[in-house]
Amino acid sequence: MVVKIRLARFGRTNSPFYNIVVAHARTARNSRPLEVIGTYDPIPKKDPYDTTGRLHKDIKLDTTRAKYWIGVGAHPTETVWRLLSMVGILPPKHRPGAPSTTAPKGQANEA
Amino acid sequence: MPPRIRGSSCQPQLLLNCIEPVPATSLSSSAALGPLRRPTTSSAPRCSQPFSTTPAPQVTALRRKFKEWCEAKQQLREPQRGQTNYVSQFIPVSESGMTRPDMPFPANKHFRSERVLSEKAREMIWRDVMVNGMPLKAVSAQYSVDMRRVAAVVRMKEIEKKWERENKPLALPYASAVTGMLPLAHLRQGEDPFEPINDIHVHSYTMQQLFVPTSESREFTRADAAKAFGDRILPPDQKMRIPELVQMEKNIHAGMSPQEARDEFVKAASESEKAYAAKQQARLQAAEDRKVRVDSGRFEFRFEKINAEDVGPTGRARRGVGWRYGVPFMDRKRGELKIPTSVE
Repeated sequence: MVVKIRLARFGRTNSPFYNIVVAHARTARNSRPLEVIGTYDPIPKKDPYDTTGRLHKDIKLDTTRAKYWIGVGAHPTETVWRLLSMVGILPPKHRPGAPSTTAPKGQANEA
Repeated sequence: MPPRIRGSSCQPQLLLNCIEPVPATSLSSSAALGPLRRPTTSSAPRCSQPFSTTPAPQVTALRRKFKEWCEAKQQLREPQRGQTNYVSQFIPVSESGMTRPDMPFPANKHFRSERVLSEKAREMIWRDVMVNGMPLKAVSAQYSVDMRRVAAVVRMKEIEKKWERENKPLALPYASAVTGMLPLAHLRQGEDPFEPINDIHVHSYTMQQLFVPTSESREFTRADAAKAFGDRILPPDQKMRIPELVQMEKNIHAGMSPQEARDEFVKAASESEKAYAAKQQARLQAAEDRKVRVDSGRFEFRFEKINAEDVGPTGRARRGVGWRYGVPFMDRKRGELKIPTSVE
């Protein structure tokens, strides 16, 4: 069975909170996984006493375990791929600024 | 069955009696309303409370005497600024005469209103810490003000000064009105000490009577006593807020001049505060080193490095990261504290 690295949604209505888990692909979303390798809080937050208004998102990740699971062939989902590519564990799939591969041919020639 | 209104109470005459009489000057033509303005008859009871069933307050002898007493007291009508004006000031309750000025309730001699720091005293504390750069412990010992209060005064003063720079309005009339009514501490020379500064919390483990066999030749110190009470019990020298004061007294006892001992104390206090600040800085630095910051343009993603094996063999250890499996999350249970721990 395929082992996936995916998010498991916890939290409450309108306040999601995700565990980054390693689990078999066919198990239920919130069932007990093989391992919890981190968390992802998708709600952007401000720093206390910060007046610039910059927002940040907090992610906790065990990079060693993430690398191990990638090494043994676990499939990350799109979202987890995006997160893991930020810390350099995986190559980024969608690069900002890079030419889009899905754009129609005609438009690409005009540009 | 709901209660009924009795027919007799709905008589038009009774209802009219309940309406207050209109002064004649406000009516232009009394002829038009003539039939309504009939004199009250003795047969109908006079209704003094038209819209309320609450009985009017009875004028008792006690109430009348209280009112007379209030009117006779000059202090109650014109409170003097700069003193407490508590009722206990002009009621003799004991044979010795008036009560102390910090007793708001004349019959309760155990209730004392505490002094608050005056505006000048707070300014003095702020100046010593922020302008003269004295350590908090030294300021606390100099004025006999608790270290936590010194820190709080400095924080509040900083906010006040920031607001002044930003031209934000301050509630100065309110502050002066309140401080005008409270007993004040000005922290002048020769004034009573404001509060004890080196109190030690008594741990309940140390309240028991304990018999510890020890050899006669051995020196049994307070550290040994703490160890006898429990593994985690600290000796008093480590529990007090300003242990440097003990060393200062020891130095004076050993023959050092008071001025010299005080200088030593300020030096030691400054060093201990520097060490504390360095420790805090190192803690923050260690937390920062565990983090990787990635800016995506819209948001900054902060990756914190954790160890997934902190969850323990059962997966339920407290130190473990993430939402736990197989245990209820009690955050919405009745009686749970839901006070936010940070302000954003």
